[in-house]
Amino acid sequence: MKPTRKLDLTWLLLVALTLASAALAGRGETELALATAVAAVMALKLRLVCDHFLELREAHPRIRLAISLFCYGMPVLLVLSTAFGPVLARLTSLLVA
Amino acid sequence: MPPTAILPAPPLPARRSPPPASGRIPGNKAMWVGIFCEVTEFALMFAVYFVARAHHPEAFAEGPARLSLLAGTGYTLMLLTSGWCVAHALHAMRQGASRRSLRWLFGAFAFGLAYPVIKLFEVRWNLANGLNGDAGVFIVTYYYLSFNHLIHVFWGLLGMLWVMLRTATGAYDAGEHSGLEAFACYWHATDIIWLMIFPLFYLLG
Repeated sequence: MKPTRKLDLTWLLLVALTLASAALAGRGETELALATAVAAVMALKLRLVCDHFLELREAHPRIRLAISLFCYGMPVLLVLSTAFGPVLARLTSLLVA
Repeated sequence: MPPTAILPAPPLPARRSPPPASGRIPGNKAMWVGIFCEVTEFALMFAVYFVARAHHPEAFAEGPARLSLLAGTGYTLMLLTSGWCVAHALHAMRQGASRRSLRWLFGAFAFGLAYPVIKLFEVRWNLANGLNGDAGVFIVTYYYLSFNHLIHVFWGLLGMLWVMLRTATGAYDAGEHSGLEAFACYWHATDIIWLMIFPLFYLLG
């Protein structure tokens, strides 16, 4: 596939995912289900931007590692902080008290 | 005189750069120092978001319905489209097509500029609906992150004007365009951060 064609398809997919995620707003059966769906779409979009726009796959391994940790860490933290919100609140009570 | 002597010389093939080497530092090191500073700054702000959300789950569950989903979706589409134009501009420059690259950069700037324009309308709408600095922890956290991101978009737009000027004056070619590539990395990193902010504040209600 031509590189420009790949860029166009990536953009179209990102637009479609954005519109699909906007349709998700407030539709979760539970808070955790919604957070999981939102985190999955977020991870997919971040992966597309990293691979095809930022060209992270060709970058230095340390850059690749740091950006990948940031991009995959966020959706994971979103799900974990939703599932264990009260635990996080208890662990950080000194920060907010 | 041989007949070939009066024929015009065939056009030279456009000079193309080889495909980017794997394992390299895209753009330049200085830009990546800046990007890692940006990522660290936002990682801390996201930590604030998660702690605030854990302590005020009701405010964060009701919060997204108070914001304009249309504005949030608009920012996302404009930034993604601007990033797509920048990726095309870089690709065109690698092909040695600097005029085409400049046209893509104009497109990227126009879509990028839509971000602060939407922000202007959204803030006016927010204030008309009582969403000011006293509107609770969700709105304060939202302003804290989104205005910080807006500042990074402004830096990016200024940087884009600079690389457009450099492209227009022929400073880049297929072999040397590290400045354009460094800018592209910054712009995509800023896009990545928005792709995190958007669902956290507009979708999780």
